[in-house]
Amino acid sequence: MPTETAVQPIEGRQGHYAGAVSRLVAFAADVGASWGLFTLGAAALDFSVQLVTGGQFSLTKHQLASLIALVIWEFVYFAYQWALSGKTIGMAVLGIRVVRADGSPIGWRQAVVRTVTLPLSFLVFGLGFLGILTNRNRYAWHDRLAGTAVVYSWDARAARLRWLARQESSPTR
Amino acid sequence: MSPMPGSNRVEQLAQAVAERVVSIVMDAIDIDALLERVDVDALVSRVDVDGVVSRVDVDGLIDRVDVEKIIDRVDVEKIIDRVDMKKIVDRIDIDAIVEQTELGTIIARSTSGVASEVLDVVRAQGVGLDDFFSRWANRVLRRSPESIPLGPPMLVAPTATPELTTGIG
Repeated sequence: MPTETAVQPIEGRQGHYAGAVSRLVAFAADVGASWGLFTLGAAALDFSVQLVTGGQFSLTKHQLASLIALVIWEFVYFAYQWALSGKTIGMAVLGIRVVRADGSPIGWRQAVVRTVTLPLSFLVFGLGFLGILTNRNRYAWHDRLAGTAVVYSWDARAARLRWLARQESSPTR
Repeated sequence: MSPMPGSNRVEQLAQAVAERVVSIVMDAIDIDALLERVDVDALVSRVDVDGVVSRVDVDGLIDRVDVEKIIDRVDVEKIIDRVDMKKIVDRIDIDAIVEQTELGTIIARSTSGVASEVLDVVRAQGVGLDDFFSRWANRVLRRSPESIPLGPPMLVAPTATPELTTGIG
């Protein structure tokens, strides 16, 4: 069956606080994307070193160096994208973005603080993320510390129109 | 020739006397007081307005009106400033327009990429699940959804009412 019955876009959500599922799915997509890119980068580095030195090299064999490289990469991945556009790859897919608590665009300072404090929300079995459900403004711990909020950025109304248009132009209807 | 000798002089005298009398009477009458005693409503009720109107040549009147001149004197910008465009747009049933016109096909043709369809599905499902968990959290915490802000103050007007799911039905 096509996806006709599955799509039920929700109108008028642009600028509203994003919910827990959208945020966590976006984060999972980002973890996957950043790990994938890191693996590709590490493979490219291994190949380059082998090409230059002629000897065997693998970044994964150097656990400490590999861990430091991963931490730096994750920091760059999140901080750079948040500072640049307010959204990471996963957030862009899910149609959400980070803004300041008042709704204005996020700056470099907020992006860096949010990235540094993000691991704090994982402490105590991810207790910091519980705020997305319980807090009135859906703030996680790292949101409170960085003074940021996550909102929907996708145009649900346009999506609904597209859906209606597909229904209208569908020959089966 | 006058039929009676001296009748011309009598007429002139009578005319002069009448003019003088009328002038004296008019000076003596308090017009305002007189008008106050007139029952205007009673007078108007005796007038056949329909009859008067039926005798007016409306087409002739309109032909004599320079519409272009009137439009030139209208400050359109001022009128537009006073119109609440948002209210008008809100009243337009875009869904119905899309369904009933070729506009739907145009939109479908321009944006019917598989990627955008998949994105719409993923996002819509995400928002649906967000609402589901949000509703349960509100029940557990015993708080009213209306008491929760919809979004940051710069992005969402404080007077906005919360919109729940509006599934396509």
